[in-house]
Amino acid sequence: MSFLTNRMQIEDVKKLANLARIDMSEDEMKEVAKDFDSILAYVGQVQEASKLVQGEQDITEKGKRPEDHFLYNVMREDVTTNKSGEHTEKILKNAPETEDGFIKVKQIM
Amino acid sequence: MIDLKNLTIEKAHESLKNKEYSVRELADAYLDVIKEKNSVINAYLEVYKDIDEQVKIAQEMFDNDTATLLTGIPIAIKDNILYEGHVASASSKILENHIATYDSFVIHKLKEQGVVVLGRTNMDEFAMGSSTETSAYGVTRNPLDTERVPGGSSGGSAASVAALMSLASLGTETCGSVRQPASFCGLVGLKPSYGAVSRSGIIAMGSSLDQVGPMGKSVNDVEIIFNAISKHDAKDSTSIPDEKRNILKNPIKKRIGIPREFLQGGGIDSEVLKNFEEGCEKLRKVGYEIVDVSLPSIKYSLAIYYIIMPAEVSSNLARYDGIRYGLSEKADNLFDVYAKSRGKGFGKEARRRILLGTYILSHGYHDAYYNTAIKVRKIIKDELTNIFSEVDAIITPTVPFLPFKLGERLNDPMSMYLCDIFSAPANLADIPSISIPSGKTEAGLPFGIQITAPFLREDILFAIGKDLEKLIAE
Repeated sequence: MSFLTNRMQIEDVKKLANLARIDMSEDEMKEVAKDFDSILAYVGQVQEASKLVQGEQDITEKGKRPEDHFLYNVMREDVTTNKSGEHTEKILKNAPETEDGFIKVKQIM
Repeated sequence: MIDLKNLTIEKAHESLKNKEYSVRELADAYLDVIKEKNSVINAYLEVYKDIDEQVKIAQEMFDNDTATLLTGIPIAIKDNILYEGHVASASSKILENHIATYDSFVIHKLKEQGVVVLGRTNMDEFAMGSSTETSAYGVTRNPLDTERVPGGSSGGSAASVAALMSLASLGTETCGSVRQPASFCGLVGLKPSYGAVSRSGIIAMGSSLDQVGPMGKSVNDVEIIFNAISKHDAKDSTSIPDEKRNILKNPIKKRIGIPREFLQGGGIDSEVLKNFEEGCEKLRKVGYEIVDVSLPSIKYSLAIYYIIMPAEVSSNLARYDGIRYGLSEKADNLFDVYAKSRGKGFGKEARRRILLGTYILSHGYHDAYYNTAIKVRKIIKDELTNIFSEVDAIITPTVPFLPFKLGERLNDPMSMYLCDIFSAPANLADIPSISIPSGKTEAGLPFGIQITAPFLREDILFAIGKDLEKLIAE
């Protein structure tokens, strides 16, 4: 896992900003790259801590009780809990752009 | 004149019941202080316009004998707690004009009792910070020394109580954000067990860690509010069901553990350590046995936290897209609407953490970082669970150092993150933890002692906390 000690390049930050859909100036990207070096050096302790993990562990819910704190499903069956249109007006009030009771977005296709 | 400095929830309740003063007069006493002090302290971002109506409802409850302990009690809430019809911005530009469309569970519960919510308080943007300096709406100053930070992220909620601008308040924690500002402002602050208080209607940061917590001038005030909001809620899938809350509670043995190696590795100030040892000595004198315990893996807590939290942040904050609510920038295509709205709407620390989370979860890295981190989280949780067969609670200082000056740590993220070194184990292990004021330096800066107990054993924190509170006051 040597990459845990790799230095962050500005191109890496650019790629992350693109993935996260965040416009950023070159100057800020340089700053983020620098900050990442110290943060990643610190969280790199996970490499040392991973030695505490014994054997292969399945992190999904298979055979695990929820209180064992791995990942588990909390979804219930999808049921209707409100009347149609009950919250529409309140919710649309917060939307930047609406039309005929819909939220308007830029053309996707 | 109401003596706000020594006022507690129970005292206020008695006075309201005996008509020594009205709900209106009590609220006005706090509003007067807000008028006088908030322009300097900046604890409140907004004092609500519907206080008259809230006061009327509470007074009616007294007049028709339906009042409870919290009726008419003036509190402040952190700006990430939804209160229908009121702005909730998480101190971010991206939610500047966002009006809550429903009540959070905690507001619902407090409203049932006729609490008077005075306003919403300043915080680090999206609760990301330990000094309330990353807010998009200016810094909050520590009422005990206005050149210093109040701590964070619930710094406004802490400052409002410390400056007598509210009787108590609600903050939220993902890692230390109630306990640390409580410590920095000389207050009591509680991080409940994960799932004790519903997260419904709380603007999410790290969902597997987030909890609402009360702050007040005394353990009893904090306990009263905790009891009011600690209920099952079907709207939060991780809320603990009622039947699981009634666990068999082992009697308190009056045995407390100090994780000695962890303490020594925490970069702790000598003054803070000295105050902590004195606090432990006081507890010993009233019959507590305080022993060193070995918890070898909790030293990794903060590093593990800084993997899990940003991963959850990058997922949770994906919802701010400039489409459904919040700041929206005009652009020619959908991608640019997203990127420009998020670039302009999020502040520096939020952007940094979103990118960090994006990196941690990206292909080729998530196994080494995220998947390993959640396995280590489980080890930390097991280690703490096991130690509680030997001791009732764990004791440490709340923060390794005293409240620092504004700007002192803001430009060095790692030095800011280290504020939470002693906070992280409780959040990762889902267990409750409280900060108790432990006296002041000669210059008047407050110390805090942190007690951490097993899952759903807030009662242990309140019992030890009340003893410690009494000893410190002597």
